[in-house]
Amino acid sequence: MEPVTNATVYIVDDDADVRDALAWLLRSRRLYSESFACAEDFLAMLTQRPVPRHPQCLLLDVRMTGMSGLSLFAQLKQLEGVIETVPVIFLTGHADVPTAVQTVKQGAFDFCEKPFSDNVLVDRIEQALQQSAQYLEETALRHALLNRLADLTERERGVMTLVVEGVPNKLIADQLDISVRTVEVHRARVFDKMQVKSAVELANVLRAHGQL
Amino acid sequence: MLVVLVVGMLIIMVWLAGRYEASQVQDKLDRDAAQAVVEIRSGLNRNLQDLQAINPLHVTPEQWSVRVAELLQVRRELLRVEWRGENMNIRQVAETPYRSVEWDADLREESFSHAVTACSNAHRTNSPAYSSSYFQILGGTMGAELMEVCLPQMEGGHVRGFMVATYSLQHILISQVSKNLTQNQEISFTEPDGTRLAVLGAAWRGSRVFTSQQLLDLPGNTMVLRMDSWHRAPSVFPNVLTALVTGMAIALGSVLVVLVRDNRRRLRAERDLGDALAFRKAMEDSLITGLRARDLQGRISYVNPAFCAMVGFSAEELLGQSFAPYWPPELAEEYVRRQARRLSGAVPPAREGHESVFMRKDGTRFPVLIFEAPLINAQGQQTGWMSAFIDITEQRRMEDMSRASHERLQATARLATVGEMASLLSHELTQPLMAMSSYANGSLNMLQHDGELELLDKATLIQRLNDLKSAMQRIAFQADRAGKVIKSVRDFVRRRSQTHDTITAAELLDAVMPLVRMQATKLGVKVQVDVEPRLPPMVCDSTMIEQVLLNLARNAMQSMENVEAAYKKLTIKALWDEPSRRVVFSVEDQGAGIPQEVAEQLFTPFFTTKAEGMGLGLSMCRTVIEQHSGELRYSVNAPRGTVFTFSLPVAGDREKLS
Repeated sequence: MEPVTNATVYIVDDDADVRDALAWLLRSRRLYSESFACAEDFLAMLTQRPVPRHPQCLLLDVRMTGMSGLSLFAQLKQLEGVIETVPVIFLTGHADVPTAVQTVKQGAFDFCEKPFSDNVLVDRIEQALQQSAQYLEETALRHALLNRLADLTERERGVMTLVVEGVPNKLIADQLDISVRTVEVHRARVFDKMQVKSAVELANVLRAHGQL
Repeated sequence: MLVVLVVGMLIIMVWLAGRYEASQVQDKLDRDAAQAVVEIRSGLNRNLQDLQAINPLHVTPEQWSVRVAELLQVRRELLRVEWRGENMNIRQVAETPYRSVEWDADLREESFSHAVTACSNAHRTNSPAYSSSYFQILGGTMGAELMEVCLPQMEGGHVRGFMVATYSLQHILISQVSKNLTQNQEISFTEPDGTRLAVLGAAWRGSRVFTSQQLLDLPGNTMVLRMDSWHRAPSVFPNVLTALVTGMAIALGSVLVVLVRDNRRRLRAERDLGDALAFRKAMEDSLITGLRARDLQGRISYVNPAFCAMVGFSAEELLGQSFAPYWPPELAEEYVRRQARRLSGAVPPAREGHESVFMRKDGTRFPVLIFEAPLINAQGQQTGWMSAFIDITEQRRMEDMSRASHERLQATARLATVGEMASLLSHELTQPLMAMSSYANGSLNMLQHDGELELLDKATLIQRLNDLKSAMQRIAFQADRAGKVIKSVRDFVRRRSQTHDTITAAELLDAVMPLVRMQATKLGVKVQVDVEPRLPPMVCDSTMIEQVLLNLARNAMQSMENVEAAYKKLTIKALWDEPSRRVVFSVEDQGAGIPQEVAEQLFTPFFTTKAEGMGLGLSMCRTVIEQHSGELRYSVNAPRGTVFTFSLPVAGDREKLS
């Protein structure tokens, strides 16, 4: 597996030794980590600065003094796109299968029982980081697409909709009550703005980002 | 008293009846006497009128003589009639033809004679007058009491002469009264002083006489007419008879009243008795307590429906039996002994009752609680024994259930504690272990970066080695932390073992035996306890040792579950062991023994052969015994089963305890 570069692993655990040990382990695998002694600290960090645009993941202890891991997870879920950007891996000393199943169903990336085989954990962390990277990439692409769509004029958008549906230029001209020549000009402008070369590619891009 | 009263009443009645009879007789006599007086007086008056009618002044002397003779013939009481002149000289005389009386004519003309006295009285009063009576000799020795009456003959307001008539008192009575006189009556004229002048009647004399006296008041003479009536002494018998009849009637009446009242009371008492009987019957029938009465020979004389329902035999099958069919055969011998002891009356049983086992008709056994009391009859003699039976099957079941649920609850509580403990321990241990694992793996990761180490420059290498060194230090630190956790747990266990009591083996067993026996009864196991006398007191955590004994006893009894009833025997011993100077306890069963594969894991925690067991019993027992510096051993019992033994230190050897 490709090591994920420029990534951050957040560690939230009330046991300092565990934080230190995990950080050490991650460092040995060349992963940068940031540790938090409690859920409140992490939440404060998240709200004070914008979510970084690089891959990240969260190692979260379930049972902690103060806010528990589960309630922190519930709060993170309220925040738009956070658990996708920062996948959560729960760590627990108490095997509780129903809780594990439930949290995973609700969107946690994984649920690891302590003590765990460390390198397996690190492998899971890397997978989580990759998912995070992928998500960031997708959101970046969609962002770009939406920007491009926003650049289109009213007329260009109308022409684009029909083009994507596979309507010939002549019929588009008839429907919009404009000349075929004008349709061709608009069509070229749309392709240019959307950075595609054909109607098929355009349809694929739109479909991939749910704009169709 | 009553008899005296009745007799007195009877006597009074007889006396009153006699009095009444006498007064009746007296009344009648008085009436008769008065009647006689009236008749005599009217007879005398009639004679006066007749004499007046023959007035010599208006008739010739011949006529006078004829008419007087006629009169004398009819009126036999008149003895003589004289016609006298103004100066009392006798002019004419007529005498009765029935008797001859010699009259002395001169004497009669004497101025003091009775006739003259009467005539002078008559002349004075100008009306007829009588003389007093007098005795006149009537020839020979005979004589009669006589009385004169004188009628003055008036003419033109002057007395011209007198008519003098002589009466015989005796004949007055005969002519005027005799026809009315009854057989038992006697009538007589008497002087006021009681001298009898003339008597008539009284042919029959009785023993008792009644007397009535009436005054016969005549002008110039007053006589007493006395009437005597002779009667039998008032006969007592008819009066007594009457009295008796009356008395008996009264007695009968009162007896009847008493009888009716008594009968009514008896009926009421009978009804009350019936009610009471019905009430008692209903009470007996509604009881769920069985009742049985036995006579002094031990024969059943009474059973109530609840008892029949309890044992399943009908009353007919039980009554009169001395060998009760509801005795389980295997215990019958003991019961017969118990009954003999009871019948000998040695000890009146206390009211607290005793427990026993009975058999139903279908052969099932059930426990009963028996209360016995001597049956005392109305004369205060004991006639048998009354026993009340309570079927305590249900009670037993409830006890078992509550005990089982209690045990389950305790087990659950223990389990929960164990679980909590385990959870805490695992958390406490997980953290250092995880940290150690992370450091170790991280270090390995650092070392495994292939071929890099050789390529690194010296400074980086030293840096890397320092990193590894710090990781190793941290691993050591975490291992220490884990060790501390383990130590704290051990400290906790040790703290618990520090409570030590001084207690004797007998006290220890006393505390445990009720529970053991309860379970033994349920499982049908006989329990034998051997405690060596004069054992020195021991030092131990009594609660924990009790738990050990209970556990071992329960295991022993449960191991005999499928063994024949005769072999179900649990023996608990406490003996002195001189070499070790300790008290040795042993718990022996006759069960199936311990298979080899079980024996290997016998004391392993959480290892169990029981469906509901936790697998902590024996391991806990061993821990406890080890805390008392002893050892829990087991060996094969002869001929079968297992023996568990352990020993406890005695009080004097306290310092030996660690």
